[in-house]
Amino acid sequence: MESSLILVFMFTSLVVFMLSGAGLAFVLGAIAFISTILLWGPSALIVAVLNTFETMTSEALMAIPLYVLMASILQKSAIIEALYDAMETWFSGVNGGLAVGTIAICTILAAMTGVVGAAVAAMGILALPSMLARGYHPPLALGAICAGGTLGILIPPSVVTIVYAITAQISIGKMFAAGIVPGLILAGSYAAYIVIRTWLNPALAPKPEQASAVPLSAKLAKTKSLILPGLVVLGVLGSIYAGIATPTEAAAVGVLGAAASAIVTRKLTLPMLSEAAADTLRVTAMILWITIGARAFISVFVATGGADSLLNFVETLEASRWIVLGVMVLVLIFLGLFLDEIGIILLCVPVFLPIVTVLEFDPLWFGVLFMITAQMAYITPPFGYTLFYLKGVLPEGISIGQVYRGVIPFFLIQVVVLILFALFPSLVTWLPEMLSARMK
Amino acid sequence: QGATKWRMQALWGGGTTPMLYEEKFCDRVRELTGGSLDITPFAGGQIVPSAQAFDAVRGGAFEMMKTFDGYTAGKIKAHGFSSTVPFGFPDADQYEAWFYERDGLAMAKESYEPAGLTYIAPTVYGEEPIHSKVEIRKIADMDGLKGRFVGLASAVMADFGVSVSPLPTSEVYSALDKGLIDFADRGDIKANYEEGIHEVAKYLILPGVHQPSTATAYVANTGAYSRLDDQQKAALEVAAREVSGALRQNIISANGEYLKKYQEAGVEIIDLAAEDVAEARGKAVESWKAAAGEDPLAKRMMESQMALMQELRLL
Amino acid sequence: MTAIAEGITALNRLLFALAKWLVYAIVLLMLWEVLSRYLVQAPTSWAPELATLIFGPFFLLGGPYLLHIGGHVAVDVLSERATGGFAKILKIIGFILAAAFGAILLWFAVPLAVQSWEYGETSYSAWNPVIWPAKAFLPLASALLLLQALAEIVLTLGDEEAA
Ligand code: NA
Ligand code: NA
Repeated sequence: MESSLILVFMFTSLVVFMLSGAGLAFVLGAIAFISTILLWGPSALIVAVLNTFETMTSEALMAIPLYVLMASILQKSAIIEALYDAMETWFSGVNGGLAVGTIAICTILAAMTGVVGAAVAAMGILALPSMLARGYHPPLALGAICAGGTLGILIPPSVVTIVYAITAQISIGKMFAAGIVPGLILAGSYAAYIVIRTWLNPALAPKPEQASAVPLSAKLAKTKSLILPGLVVLGVLGSIYAGIATPTEAAAVGVLGAAASAIVTRKLTLPMLSEAAADTLRVTAMILWITIGARAFISVFVATGGADSLLNFVETLEASRWIVLGVMVLVLIFLGLFLDEIGIILLCVPVFLPIVTVLEFDPLWFGVLFMITAQMAYITPPFGYTLFYLKGVLPEGISIGQVYRGVIPFFLIQVVVLILFALFPSLVTWLPEMLSARMK
Repeated sequence: QGATKWRMQALWGGGTTPMLYEEKFCDRVRELTGGSLDITPFAGGQIVPSAQAFDAVRGGAFEMMKTFDGYTAGKIKAHGFSSTVPFGFPDADQYEAWFYERDGLAMAKESYEPAGLTYIAPTVYGEEPIHSKVEIRKIADMDGLKGRFVGLASAVMADFGVSVSPLPTSEVYSALDKGLIDFADRGDIKANYEEGIHEVAKYLILPGVHQPSTATAYVANTGAYSRLDDQQKAALEVAAREVSGALRQNIISANGEYLKKYQEAGVEIIDLAAEDVAEARGKAVESWKAAAGEDPLAKRMMESQMALMQELRLL
Repeated sequence: MTAIAEGITALNRLLFALAKWLVYAIVLLMLWEVLSRYLVQAPTSWAPELATLIFGPFFLLGGPYLLHIGGHVAVDVLSERATGGFAKILKIIGFILAAAFGAILLWFAVPLAVQSWEYGETSYSAWNPVIWPAKAFLPLASALLLLQALAEIVLTLGDEEAA
């Protein structure tokens, strides 16, 4: 079959099957199986099993249950509720204060892990109940978590960044350094958007009663609710940056910290640990079974040359360098509608990087643009993995439609920031260049 | 009559030097068969993870693969000896001689036969370096350090007193950077430079005793292979042998170029003394024997390699 | 039929309730590795590897029961609005896809798990454990998913008869 036909076939069948309301894992798997039988031969179905064996022993993906467990224990020990209570008091003057606080927590979590599923599921458990309980407009709260949860791609450590660096053959350290400033700018943009939006429409984020009257002493008194979560964060970040643990091992340190905090708040009981474990298995199984389906889908897509026509088109494109760059970014965003980031990197980077080099763009800078499109891919409706991960931890009564509506403004912010970095490459490159100059 | 179309799962990332050589291999096969055998190479991990390619080719998802036998040494013990041997042949040419001039190739074929796979030919190249944050001037200095090694090397290095953590490749840079480990193996000299390992490890130790020489392998599904004509089969062998020499020489040349870059970046290159390495090789024999265990083919491979090493006065 | 379907559900519920505790084993193994590497400078050869071997069975065993409690995420923008017979048809399509997914994984995973056992396949690490027990959880979980999907179809149709 013609490769452009394969692309259309797999994309449309994904949308159609998905709208039937079947589980996403099985939709991905079923399309992969049908396409494999039709386009590749039934014996190639073995590939789905082989990829699953690899998923089963992935050290990086093991961060998912660990962070979800940490989040669940913290949530059940009333530590997070106390934190949000305190944030409500501190930020009582700030419009959308809790959502801004959520972005701040997402940024901290981004410095702990680069596995998006881990961050989003953890934030869904940590932040969502507190915001909804205070009457926050669900789409705003959901959008903030989805967008904030993807910050971990840009802010080191990050698995996607490592895979990009290895595939593009550039320094992992420089690539990490290049992500820091853009990651913080994105986080700042999200926060700015929330403040402006809720200032224009205060009903989206109700402020507590007697908002203006909170005395300083009351604010300081609530500061102690920061101690326990602060120590957990310190334990995780400290063990990563002091060279005591790998990022996944650090997540286990986080679980230990959460359990210790639960002892302090006298909430550590066997039933609580049992419930936290059940939450963890529910979320982990949901994400990992999707991963099984997604890997099967990507395999057959690559093996049958699904993207060849797109990639060939880019390769033969004769236009000004900026138009070529724009087309490459559009291709990345389009593929991001239905493939996962690692799959896109393995598929596109070997094709795009020589073009980037010929056009005399900086591969490091292109890498950051790539990571931002990866973040966009994670939150683009209808098929963004974070949307599904978050849906998996949503309370009853909130539909995926509300998640879809919530992410659109954040997606647009990412578009604006992407254009900003395209126009001003030095925003991306000055930190890695300064660091490497200092090393010499 | 249409061309026979094959899919080949390769080991390397798209756009890397060794992957370019896999593309050359496929071009050369097309050329030698007048276009009658058309192989499409897929980069490592694109379709199945490299370590799973063995079962994918057995199952018929691909007609052939470029594999590293070390991945399947847990299934087939002999593959520990047809991939890379810690403290083994110090020179890639000696290792390739074992394949082509001794019984290496025949035994490699024998190891794949029961699985329904046909070993075509190896690609043999030289050492991978050791990167260290601390000075290592002799093998004994490794005793008590924390190191990252995988496969048989992790057992052998442990026998030399190293505290081994088998971290994934993607974690090596960060683990060295943060001091989680003192020294590590990763990829070849050039690839490691491109990942920026020189930024986090100020010493580069040669020879890379944990992996002094390496063989990767072209392996085909026996069913698919038996449907080829003699010209096509010969083309696979010829192209494979050409690529082996060409890639090895490319690596030698790149090593020279990149060692200079390491030095310019302030990395000290330390050469271990030949006598020190030879003495350690004698000790490593015990680890080899443990790895071969009671497996008859693995033992034969090991003994055949040791015989050649003794003749060359390496043991 | 309904009794069998409920039996399958009870079995998967039990396995879920047992498997969930494995996450604490993963936590303890990782912490043990951090301690032994950092405090006694002697990383174990087995703790991190055992953790990764437990990880697969952990999330695989959660999948079948997740089907029963509706925990596999779906896009419900349309199906939410469907009512009566059409809603039921959509549900059953979903379960058929899940059954097909389980059946195909089962069909291809069984021979691979059996071969791993025949080879006595080990991980070729310093610890070098046999790995067929971990691999065997894939066909097991696939079979349980298939059974649960069939059970869900029976239970969905059973609703109709009762109504
Ligand atoms: Na991160
Ligand atoms: Na998407």
